[in-house]
Amino acid sequence: MTTLPTDASAGANASGSTWQPILPSVASRGVAAGVEVILYLVVTIIVAIVEYFVAGPFTDFGPSNWWIAFVVMAAWTGWTWAGSQNLVGSYVDHFIADREGGPACFSCIAVRQLTRFGVLFGIPFLILNSNVALSAALMVATGLIIWFSPGRRAPWDYVAGTVVTNAFAGEASVELPPLNSPKDLQLTGSRVAENRRARLLLQFAGLSSVIISGLIVRNIFTEAWQFVAAQEFSWSLLRDIGWFPRRNKFDLSTLFVGTLWITGIAMIVAGPVGLGVAIYLSEYASTRVRNVVKPAIETLASIPSVVLGFFAISFISPRVLQSVGGSFGIDFGIFSLISAGIAVGILTVPIVASISEDAMRAVPRELREASYGLGARPVTTALKVVFPAALSGISAAFIVGISRAIGETMVVFIAAGGSGGAIFEADPTKPGQTITAAMASLGAGTDSVAGSGIAFQSLYFLGALLFIITLLLNVMSDAIVRRFRQEY
Amino acid sequence: MSVKPQEHVRPTLGSLRRSRTADVKGQVFFGLLLIAVVLAVAMVLAVLFSVIVDGTEILGSRLWSFLTNPSSSDASRAGVAQGIRGSLLIAGIVSLVAFPVGIGAAIYLEEYADDGVVTRTIEVAVRNLAGVPSIVYGLLGLAVFVQQLRGITGGSSVISGGLTLSLLVLPIVIITASEAIRAVPSSLSDGAYGLGATQWEVIRTLVLPSALPGILTGSVLSIARALGEAAPLLVVGAAAFYTTGFQGALEQMQGAFTALPMNVANFAKLPADQWAGHAAAASVVILVVVFLINLFAIIARARITKKLGR
Repeated sequence: MTTLPTDASAGANASGSTWQPILPSVASRGVAAGVEVILYLVVTIIVAIVEYFVAGPFTDFGPSNWWIAFVVMAAWTGWTWAGSQNLVGSYVDHFIADREGGPACFSCIAVRQLTRFGVLFGIPFLILNSNVALSAALMVATGLIIWFSPGRRAPWDYVAGTVVTNAFAGEASVELPPLNSPKDLQLTGSRVAENRRARLLLQFAGLSSVIISGLIVRNIFTEAWQFVAAQEFSWSLLRDIGWFPRRNKFDLSTLFVGTLWITGIAMIVAGPVGLGVAIYLSEYASTRVRNVVKPAIETLASIPSVVLGFFAISFISPRVLQSVGGSFGIDFGIFSLISAGIAVGILTVPIVASISEDAMRAVPRELREASYGLGARPVTTALKVVFPAALSGISAAFIVGISRAIGETMVVFIAAGGSGGAIFEADPTKPGQTITAAMASLGAGTDSVAGSGIAFQSLYFLGALLFIITLLLNVMSDAIVRRFRQEY
Repeated sequence: MSVKPQEHVRPTLGSLRRSRTADVKGQVFFGLLLIAVVLAVAMVLAVLFSVIVDGTEILGSRLWSFLTNPSSSDASRAGVAQGIRGSLLIAGIVSLVAFPVGIGAAIYLEEYADDGVVTRTIEVAVRNLAGVPSIVYGLLGLAVFVQQLRGITGGSSVISGGLTLSLLVLPIVIITASEAIRAVPSSLSDGAYGLGATQWEVIRTLVLPSALPGILTGSVLSIARALGEAAPLLVVGAAAFYTTGFQGALEQMQGAFTALPMNVANFAKLPADQWAGHAAAASVVILVVVFLINLFAIIARARITKKLGR
């Protein structure tokens, strides 16, 4: 090992019979060292952030060993700028050698660098816990040894290199079996066994969804059954003045009316808007408009429902409903079923829009072209040709939207105002309670409810109801799609 | 009397267009569609602007202390640090649990599964799980992780919450990964099978690398979904506010926890005159996190797709 070659083209004759490694120039090494310095500093910042939030604000927070180690690494790399073998530079070497078809050994480089890393940083890092001065001195000393070694290669690099060459030399090249007759293509036992192992493992992963379904059904329905089978339970409890689980008043109609209002209002908002957007995007929009509108609608889909819940009480109720309702003489509070229903509708728009649009885009071009060819206008084509052809998909979109609206929890929990209990109320301008919101308020007080008899089990009873309702809706949408699917 | 032959008028582009401008029904329909689109875009803007405007007061005056203070009963000091911590840990647990299992299941369904009873059961289960409301997953988590596995999870802890959300996003990961794998052209794997490769070799060397952009995007988006969910955490028992002394790592993982959406819900449930700004500011923090994740997914997909030259 002598000094580093400075010219990148020094070993360019890779096509010759003897392969020569192409080593990167000093300039590219300098760049690599710079990249590495930045890398360490970024890692330091990330470690600091993660440490702060994961360790918790209540524990001691200050520069830890990790920060110091990474900053020292950055400083050292910067100090030996462009001359040394740094981590990034080694991978540049490896990459170039590999691309030229030379015998690069990834594990060789990895082990050599790990040794270097360990001696330079690992040992000082361990000592750092007790003695900062000693470990700093150690780092400086190792840095000096590398600096003054011939070719900037420390003695342990040679040791590591020897070890690596002996241990990993066989791995660098793959011995292919001779291929003389078709028989040589036959699978060997080990490859078949490997395939069988992978298949078994992946099958377990596949079965996970069945297992989860089983767990849901088993746990929720046994607990729900305990609610129905409990001593103090009688069916008359399910018909009362309202939903007050802690006082053993489980009036289901209160919850059903609330759920129906929320779902109905949500679909009144989401149905026309979602369908309109879908028709516009699939039939009318130019690519440029589509590229703006579609991401905007998808943005709506990624807004968390708690944010919509807060939006309902901070914007929809005070600024829309109260000002509009005021002029009609209707009195709205901050918490009302209408307000929550509108917010759930906003959440449902992207679902209806995207599923309907997919259904309409799946209608083949030929149908539209035939319609235009017969002289039909765009509106006729959209309504009389594309819409009927996509009807199964569109109705599936509406059913999925309804099922999502029924299952929406946080918006209703925050904005419908019926926490804990609610008296029977059929007026949507008043606060109300839905199945999901009732579950959320029961769940939010889990600890206090846990011991109090059947109130806790009513949580599971509602869960079982909700599960059955949404399951039926999903099965229905699947059946519609399958039954009315047109084969083009 | 001679009948003059009808003059044959050759339709021009202009005449066709003129007939379209007379199309009243079409104009009205188009107008209605435009109203729908404008309404939808207005909803997005209204949500974003309203939340940002409500949140500027706190984010402008004490952004750093809001991000680094724990929840508190004192409105001038309350922050979301505990929520950020919980959400970070939950994201970690979800990516450790849901990604391997979900991607594995997708590979099995797309590459190994035959058309038997087992396969059809799995497919039906995945489709139905995707439609189960999130709060039902909360019940499952409460029954299984909080009560039955209390010894491991420590009850209402971040482990229980993270595992519950992993179950929640699992069907999403499976469905998106399946779509990505299905999009790999079959000529690739057919060629490899023709050369005598086993299924596992085809999956490892051909299918997974080419499906990677789609799988990555789907997985990253499912993390965003998990970070926005509050209902299951509410049932599993995320705390509104908790204090701890000095704890080891395991005790912290098994102890009380909260998450960013829980912060929003709790602030929104408090009296609005003092706390509305906090709820809005916490909403802005979630929105920024979720949008950054989405942006990352979109950019990553674009880069990888470009690199693969498809």
